[in-house]
Amino acid sequence: MWTRIKWGIRLVLLAVVVAFLHYTLPHRDVVRITGTYNRLTEVGANAMFYASPDSGTTTQTTDRRDIRFIEAVFPNDKVMVYRNEDTGWIWPPYFKYDSSNLQAEAKNFESPKTAPEWVAVTHYGWRLSFFSIYPNAVKIKPVAGPDVTLIPWLNIIILALLGGGLFLLWRMWEQFKERMIDPTVDGLNNKLDEIDARRLRAQQERRGFWARLTGRR
Amino acid sequence: MFAILRAWAIAFVLLTILYWMLRIYFRSLRREKLEKQFDAGDAQGPRSAYIESGMQAYDRSLRPRLLWLVYILPLTAIAVIIYFVNYD
Repeated sequence: MWTRIKWGIRLVLLAVVVAFLHYTLPHRDVVRITGTYNRLTEVGANAMFYASPDSGTTTQTTDRRDIRFIEAVFPNDKVMVYRNEDTGWIWPPYFKYDSSNLQAEAKNFESPKTAPEWVAVTHYGWRLSFFSIYPNAVKIKPVAGPDVTLIPWLNIIILALLGGGLFLLWRMWEQFKERMIDPTVDGLNNKLDEIDARRLRAQQERRGFWARLTGRR
Repeated sequence: MFAILRAWAIAFVLLTILYWMLRIYFRSLRREKLEKQFDAGDAQGPRSAYIESGMQAYDRSLRPRLLWLVYILPLTAIAVIIYFVNYD
């Protein structure tokens, strides 16, 4: 039972970490851009999936703001809507402040179905229509066609660095344990052993005294 | 503007914690290595003096100075990200 609970907690934690990375790391879609627009958008309970209020687009209102959107179509005719917001300076660490330029680029890449112009939209985030959440577009680059393969080198490098960092943290903890905690615990144990031995000796002496006095063993 | 200053302050605090953790870790590694070298029997004189002089030599060497990369590399990474996201 306990092992199951432990593994359950571990799996939940792992899922949270994976979801967090999946939301934050950049991802590229090959799409055709069909439209761009601004819309006054309610930002309520889903505020954590929008830019922080002080990151440029607006500073006056927190619950409603004018947000730029980019509409796009995948090669299989499924659609996607990106928001286009500055990211602010802390998290997610994209340091994007050119959303006006990006909107102009998107407008420039708009193309009809008959003469498609395929682009790779780098973005982070998810499209969850139920919560009115949109991925944030970061960069738009033209690509050769609808079926190019893009290798996510950046994500490979970031994940490798994260893994290396975790390994280093683990090594540091092991070293700290070996050099600081274990000697202290050993010293404490020795001291406790000493105290125990002393008490045992005192007990035996006391018993000897009583035995002599009462003649009982 | 205030957001940038706050980001700088947070980055400074985090990187300083990382710097000291790494500094303590690498010094600990070096001290352990010196202890093992002495215990292997290829040194003269008292143990503590051997280790102390070894640590002083380490502090003067290039390696602990490379730890300043803890500050330099993330700031470089941020500059590179800013360039590629906004200007490339």
